[in-house]
Amino acid sequence: MTDTLNKENKLLEVLKEEFKLLSGKVKRSRRVEVVIENEQIIPILLFAKERLNYIHFSHMSCVDWIEEGKFEVIYILWSPEEKINLLIKTKVAREGEDLPNIDFIWRQANTYEREIREMYGLPFDGLVGREEFILEDWDEIPPMRRDFITNEYVSETYFEREGREDAKDVREQILGRTDEKLPDFAKKYSRD
Amino acid sequence: MAYDNNSQKIVDYIQNFARKHSLFVLAYGTGCGAIEIPPTMTSRYDAERFGIRGAATPRQADVLLITGYLATKTLKRVIRTYEQMQDPKYVIAFGSCTINGGMYWDSYNTINMLDKYIPVDVYINGCMPRPEAVISGFVKLQDEIQAGRADGWKKYQDNLEEYRANQKKIIKNWTMPDFNW
Repeated sequence: MTDTLNKENKLLEVLKEEFKLLSGKVKRSRRVEVVIENEQIIPILLFAKERLNYIHFSHMSCVDWIEEGKFEVIYILWSPEEKINLLIKTKVAREGEDLPNIDFIWRQANTYEREIREMYGLPFDGLVGREEFILEDWDEIPPMRRDFITNEYVSETYFEREGREDAKDVREQILGRTDEKLPDFAKKYSRD
Repeated sequence: MAYDNNSQKIVDYIQNFARKHSLFVLAYGTGCGAIEIPPTMTSRYDAERFGIRGAATPRQADVLLITGYLATKTLKRVIRTYEQMQDPKYVIAFGSCTINGGMYWDSYNTINMLDKYIPVDVYINGCMPRPEAVISGFVKLQDEIQAGRADGWKKYQDNLEEYRANQKKIIKNWTMPDFNW
């Protein structure tokens, strides 16, 4: 197994040598995941792009860890030579802290950053672009945050067709009936 | 011509007959349903057999075909389009998203019931409806027109305030002209 992950382990070693605070692991073949402090995000991205030839910026996404009070931002890079997806993760406080803008490294990052700024309310230092990006006239808290309760917002804002309510949770519906048992496929996805 | 009841019936019959056999459709491709329109219109299912064909602009169209989910952003454009169409105008709502929200019933930016915002004459359910279902919906609309029951546009004029209140509840920054008849 280790033989097949040669290039992935090598990449991780190179990165660990350059950035002392970095932790990470090889997820599987062609996928390496590293976690780093958010002060070092520009150095590691520049290092990956200029030295290691991770020239393709695939994606940038965000996860809301509301229990920790943090946002996790993930930069996904791809090297056409090594054929490895490099996932660079960093955490930033939900309020009062902002990430560096990286659209001077990849122009297309601007789009992702504006989307994350709008959908999560996470500011980027020095990001240029209109505040309003996809949403129109939005005056609630950003909708992809986990403290935005979508169900409540929907029931306040939109109308609900009668008869729709019983289709919402199949599990509860089945449990409410007398002589039916929860099927296995439903147990698998049970919330508790 | 004497304006008695029977001659009016004949006039209505001829009018409705003419209307139902030339439905110019403005397909508003909002969602995934737009992909079902090309096969409906082209040679495989050939909707033109029924006098159904595409229109270039809202002002030339009789039928507004709304294919799929409507985000609040697209709803604004749909209302604008609908109000630009000339009477008599009909709306066909296409897919379960327009009926009750479909799989987007708990989304923060898609509406659930289209008929609260603009009047709908015919619903075609399904996710997605096949071209056969689309054609059957059009045939249903033709029957309604012939029977004189497809009067959504009159309903819109009569209950404009109610519709407008619902629309403005969602579209907060209202920059469109307020029509009145």
